[in-house]
Amino acid sequence: MRSSRLAVSLLAALLLLAAAIFFLFPVLLALMNSLKTEGEMFKSVVQWPKTLHWENYRYVLTEVHILNNLYNTFVITLLSVGGIIVCSSLAGYKLSRTPGKFSAFIFFLFLSSMLIPFYSIMFTLIQMASRLHIQGSVYRLPLIYIGLGVNFAIFLYHGFVKSIPRELEESAQMDGCGQLQTFIRIIFPLLVPITVTIAILDILWVWNDFMLPLIMLTNYKSYTLVLLASTFFSQYSNEWSYILSILVLTSLPVILIYLLFQKYIVQGIADGAIKG
Amino acid sequence: MHRTLRSKPWLSLLAFTAPALLLYTVFLLIPTIGGIYYSFTDWNGLFRHYNFVGFSNYVEAFASDSRFIYSLFYTLKYVVVIVVLQNAVGLSLAVLVESRMRAKSLFRTLFFMPNMFSVYISTLMWSFIFSTVLPQLAEKTILHFLDQPWLGSSSMAFVSILLVSVWQGAGYLMVIYIAALQGVPRDLQEAAIIDGATPMRKFVHVVLPMIMPAITVCVFLTLNGSFKIFEVVYALTGGGPGYSTEVIAFNIYQEGFARDLRYGYATAKSMILFLIILVITVVQVSVLKKREVEA
Repeated sequence: MRSSRLAVSLLAALLLLAAAIFFLFPVLLALMNSLKTEGEMFKSVVQWPKTLHWENYRYVLTEVHILNNLYNTFVITLLSVGGIIVCSSLAGYKLSRTPGKFSAFIFFLFLSSMLIPFYSIMFTLIQMASRLHIQGSVYRLPLIYIGLGVNFAIFLYHGFVKSIPRELEESAQMDGCGQLQTFIRIIFPLLVPITVTIAILDILWVWNDFMLPLIMLTNYKSYTLVLLASTFFSQYSNEWSYILSILVLTSLPVILIYLLFQKYIVQGIADGAIKG
Repeated sequence: MHRTLRSKPWLSLLAFTAPALLLYTVFLLIPTIGGIYYSFTDWNGLFRHYNFVGFSNYVEAFASDSRFIYSLFYTLKYVVVIVVLQNAVGLSLAVLVESRMRAKSLFRTLFFMPNMFSVYISTLMWSFIFSTVLPQLAEKTILHFLDQPWLGSSSMAFVSILLVSVWQGAGYLMVIYIAALQGVPRDLQEAAIIDGATPMRKFVHVVLPMIMPAITVCVFLTLNGSFKIFEVVYALTGGGPGYSTEVIAFNIYQEGFARDLRYGYATAKSMILFLIILVITVVQVSVLKKREVEA
């Protein structure tokens, strides 16, 4: 009995180790080889670089304006996620608190589109964006992200508000607080846990999105980090040492954020799925 | 102002929902309705003028677009394999990670990490692995079985796409499964062991029924996501060799942007994709919901 339990435990450890190698090795190899010359890479991809060749990075950084791309990505993500949170917390709260058919209809309207694939709206969205002069602008693209993101966020807020007792806001309104004031002072602070979940899910979505920037950001100046990697890849098709350095550079911000906040991120993902 | 808002609840409802409703209508609702409308036209990205053509786009997609039909079945094949594979790997990782005393959070952090990257970026990393690393390992070490046309033959390209998808998505499911496993009451598991159940039987008869809600969610997420797979194919194979790895989303993208800019026809195809996703996920959720038990 005891020996069989030991064998099971050993097997589990081996499986975990194999999985760890599988999950780690693409990232590790990308990192290692971004610090080698093409010649070294040709000799051996798996060997640790003898001297660290930072010149790949130096070359890449002179070729592209990565800070500009970083800024674009940051602005788009900040405005989109901020906008989604403001719009959906207001709407989700009110829809959850208002009884009646009209309220139920609006809520249904928001939910009705949750399964629609992006490709079904892609072409008409391009038409709409060109009419509203959104294409190529990092400050206006967030409007689209808000439009596409509110339905799921409203759904999560709607469910969460049900768990907040009504007495709090009623007493605030007795004291003469307006509805908006009550929301800002009393309700929104109570919504922080679900707001964190929504923020994490949406930051990951917007920051890493490929398709919408690809069809909307048509000029080089407005490119996000992912688009930068994409044009770089098509320009330097097989010069992997350069491509890998750009991949590492573009992934650096998310890795740093992940190492700092991984506990909250993992918790937020689990909460989002269970409540959703 | 306050008084009017309080006396007319629908007015305050409208005021609170207006910002969300406006942007939602402009960027999601109208494009959806427009998409349905244009799928019945010969709308083309080049010209302003277009004609109403009835169902002919839909008829064409099924009757004479063999490449679309191929991408439809190819996507279905991918969905079936990846839903099973992704959930099996995700659940196994969750069980393995939960069985550890120490290093639990280290492994969890590691397996979830790919979800932080853009799918496009991580697919490019894998592209390096398939094109450079694996061939070299096959040549210079004893790992000769790695000498495969990873992206060059259609059957191996399918395996490569699966590998990248599992790498990318299994950690997300693992996180959900871990949360579910932690919710299974300890005394229930101990009772099963005292009654003489083997670990395997305990897992199948006690744990599995208890985490059924998480399985419903995870299967829903993978079904919904895998039908829309695009970036992995776009960055890894470009649909090739030939068009053997072309999935529906890639076929639609090509139809709209690369070939003849037939927006109306491409939209009709995307509506077919939408209907398939709708029917399958509704069936899945209602079937799996029935199997859930109360905790």
